[in-house]
Amino acid sequence: MSAVDWKNYEPVLIPNIADLDKIDVYIKNGGYSALKSVLTDKSKWPDPKSVINEVKDANIRGRGGAGFNAGLKWSFMPPADGGPRYLACNGDESEPGTFKDRKIFEYNPHVFIEGALIAAYAMQITTIYVYIRGEYKAYIRMMEKALQDAYDKGMIGKNIMGSDFSVDFYVTGGAGAYICGEETSMLESLEGKRGYPRVKPPFPAQKGLWGRPTTINNIETLAHVTSVINRGADWFKSIGAETHPGPILYGISGHVNRPGVYELPSGVPVLDLIHEVAGGIRNGKKLKAVIPGGSSTPVVRADSLDGITMDADSLREVGTMLGTAGMVVMDEDTDMVDMLWRITHFYHHESCGQCTPCREGTGWLEKIMLKIKNGEGEIKDLDLLLDITTQMEGRTICALADAAAWPVRHTITRFRDEFEARCKKSVHAVA
Amino acid sequence: MAEVFIDGIRYEYEGEHRLLQFIQDLGKEVPFFCYHPSMSAPANCRQCMVKVGQPVKDRETGEYELDENGERVIRWFPKLQTSCNIMIADGMVVHTQETDDLVKRAQKDNLELILINHPLDCPICDQAGECPLQIQTYKYGPEGSRFEVKKVHKPKRVQLGPRVILDAERCINCTRCVRFTDEISKTHQLTITSRGDKNYPIAAPGREFDDPYSLNTVDLCPVGALTSADFRFKARVWEMNQTPSIDVTNAKGSNIDLWTRDNLVLRITPRYNGEVNDHWMPDEGREAYRLFNENRVSKPRQKLDNEQVNSSWNNAVATLLEQLEGVDKQDVAIIGSPHASVEENYILGKFASLMGMNQPVFTSQIEKGKGDGFLITDDLAPNANGCRLLGFEEKDSKSIAAIVKKARVVLLLSDHLVDRGVLSAENLADTFVAVFATNHSETTKLANLVVPITCAAEHAASYVNIDGRIQRTFPAKETKYTNRRLDFEMSEGRLDRYGTSFDNWITEDNKVDCMPLWRFMSSLAEESGLENFSLSSGREIMEEISELVPAFEGVSYEVMDEQAGILLQGVSKTVKS
Repeated sequence: MSAVDWKNYEPVLIPNIADLDKIDVYIKNGGYSALKSVLTDKSKWPDPKSVINEVKDANIRGRGGAGFNAGLKWSFMPPADGGPRYLACNGDESEPGTFKDRKIFEYNPHVFIEGALIAAYAMQITTIYVYIRGEYKAYIRMMEKALQDAYDKGMIGKNIMGSDFSVDFYVTGGAGAYICGEETSMLESLEGKRGYPRVKPPFPAQKGLWGRPTTINNIETLAHVTSVINRGADWFKSIGAETHPGPILYGISGHVNRPGVYELPSGVPVLDLIHEVAGGIRNGKKLKAVIPGGSSTPVVRADSLDGITMDADSLREVGTMLGTAGMVVMDEDTDMVDMLWRITHFYHHESCGQCTPCREGTGWLEKIMLKIKNGEGEIKDLDLLLDITTQMEGRTICALADAAAWPVRHTITRFRDEFEARCKKSVHAVA
Repeated sequence: MAEVFIDGIRYEYEGEHRLLQFIQDLGKEVPFFCYHPSMSAPANCRQCMVKVGQPVKDRETGEYELDENGERVIRWFPKLQTSCNIMIADGMVVHTQETDDLVKRAQKDNLELILINHPLDCPICDQAGECPLQIQTYKYGPEGSRFEVKKVHKPKRVQLGPRVILDAERCINCTRCVRFTDEISKTHQLTITSRGDKNYPIAAPGREFDDPYSLNTVDLCPVGALTSADFRFKARVWEMNQTPSIDVTNAKGSNIDLWTRDNLVLRITPRYNGEVNDHWMPDEGREAYRLFNENRVSKPRQKLDNEQVNSSWNNAVATLLEQLEGVDKQDVAIIGSPHASVEENYILGKFASLMGMNQPVFTSQIEKGKGDGFLITDDLAPNANGCRLLGFEEKDSKSIAAIVKKARVVLLLSDHLVDRGVLSAENLADTFVAVFATNHSETTKLANLVVPITCAAEHAASYVNIDGRIQRTFPAKETKYTNRRLDFEMSEGRLDRYGTSFDNWITEDNKVDCMPLWRFMSSLAEESGLENFSLSSGREIMEEISELVPAFEGVSYEVMDEQAGILLQGVSKTVKS
């Protein structure tokens, strides 16, 4: 695998420009030129389809965690029939360890707005919703302001830039449920209902918001659309790992000296990210483990990280996933039992309660973990935990049960000695 | 024809079918909780997991790809699928728990998870004995539980509404009750509150669950989470007899089951009839069980010196005969009833014509605006259409009052006209009034003679509903003169079948001293010298009706039982709902 030249990468989503969240500054720095090109340059973009093809060609793999080609997703939309069609932008961002979209909301909202407008044009969509998690109160207000500015400048609304393309753009705040980051429960929430994931099929492209064709994209994914249109699919593909190209917003947190969001190409070596980008482990401690992409991605031991890079294929080799690229770094003092209990607590708290295995399983996992954490666990509880994860995985409507089961299974199998040390000594003689 | 393979057996099918329903219709079984054939399938209980695959087709030729043994190559779904929300497709291959160990394991795992926070209080739970969770656990569940930590505690004994009580701990969150209020009764009164293992159904804060169909959620509930405020703790289901019957509180004629123990009707539940009430019935109809038990007229009663006293059957026949013979035939008014069955009205009409008296008239009982277009109707009586088809003249209140006023003897069939406000005490003052009634009322109080007759729970008789469908009841409770072990129409529960005469669960107390109207009328006819009147059962009367009354041609108890009622053609559009 070729080493990625990340040191010379110039950020495009969060460049070092002051006050970029102001629309005038954004426009002065070339903002909304991609939208203008798409809407007015008929020689380059003869029809909406050409935009979809360009984005499909760029292979922007969805940055919300699933990693599905965004352009391909767009092409699933049925042909326009005159009725309403929706783009729902997912800014729920509630996976523990993930905080990349807030950087866009805060620092460069218009790059996202522009990308969403391009997506809407490409799919002949009439209404865009951006769903922002309830805890991001300040960003909801900022997004409202940014949208108002864009309306005032004529970037959103009727006949944008003199074209026949009209679209409306609304902000909706969540009410603090993790499950509403799941795309179909986000639709339920947008409709004002309880955040219960929907059974698929039908997929949102057929029956989404209010039963109409809907595409759901992550905020960062849509922000990348702007740069793909500006710089071309080839530029995007030339950045980072081959199978998972383009820049990624890495959110690095945990026991590092410089936690934060960094825009770098995909495929940066994990250890480079920790030791060079994020300034190394706090207090000169040693690295113990890494959760690469949000709490549901399996934890990886430090000793297996050599040569592993931040892209889906490389991470699969060590049994984990890229997820949202929200990396949690843990130093040698980290108690894995406590860590896992906290994760199980989170999923127990956030399970929506619709499907049996997840509703009951997440609670059971947490209660056993609490027992082990308090030193009252037994060795057999560890095997029971592993058993419960198989009872949950793949048997529910959405992926929350999987997300809750994986960390338990992989943390226990990868750090079993620590868990056993916390358990009561077995009363049975070991032969 | 399209084909599907289930557990290695090939079935042909047409049209669209949900896999779970298709399997059930074949008489096979896959356990489930949240699915209901009349509502949407949310696939949230995850119990009906099966293994599903689709044969691989060659893209160019459209032929099935075959392996080296000449068998079709099957592409299995990577995960087990919930059979409730999968539509069967041509060539689909399905393995249920009978032929696949992984499916069996998944169903067992799921039951273990459902049960970890379930209180397992079956011994004090009303649902025990008719509880899908209990049944499926015995059949498909694990033998024990590995759950050794604390269960979740949730609200208990919550009065959701006037008729429904919630025990949230027993709830398994199948959302059937919520979907019922969303999709069937459309009141949207229930929702799920809270998240994860703490969630349970509830009405909005400050609102109560007073849906006119609320008790259907109690039937729907696959566990004991929703129980009927009225019926809870009254009886265990295995002690009761279950008898099919018809709702007689309105003109819809919802199909119901009467649940009796010791000859008391203890509860009423809906019985499926896709043409009438689907799986549902209004709450009002369930509360009618009291009418079958309470305030019953037992033994004939007669007015002596302006005071009603108990009489005997012989006396009742003799008194009525004396009155009828003492007046001119044209001075006898006979009033039929939309509340009584076709058979009862017919026998009254037959008596009138043989005696040369005026044909019976009747007045329907309508409460404008009560109907909801679903199962509640403006018409409060079950058989107004039956009276019309028998050729009885329909009169308004004023005409009925005039007829009564003019008459010297009035025969009134179980219609409480004074209570209804059709007649006043003055109307009846100078007349001899004989009432055939099931229950005491202001009307029977004023009568000179009260003849107790069997109610809808005590005889087999038919009713024509608002859409012209004739349906019939079965005797559910014994009277003084019937015997469960002799009458083959009567249901016989576990207690009846295995009890002995020394058991104390069957008492004489609840048997009412009443007779079917045709039995009394036969005695009366015999005494008045009429020949060819002897009719000994509802079945026999219906046979005669179908021969003599054109509107009832082809109607018989056998056909009604086979087809869940018969739609009669003679009901005019204006009469329909």
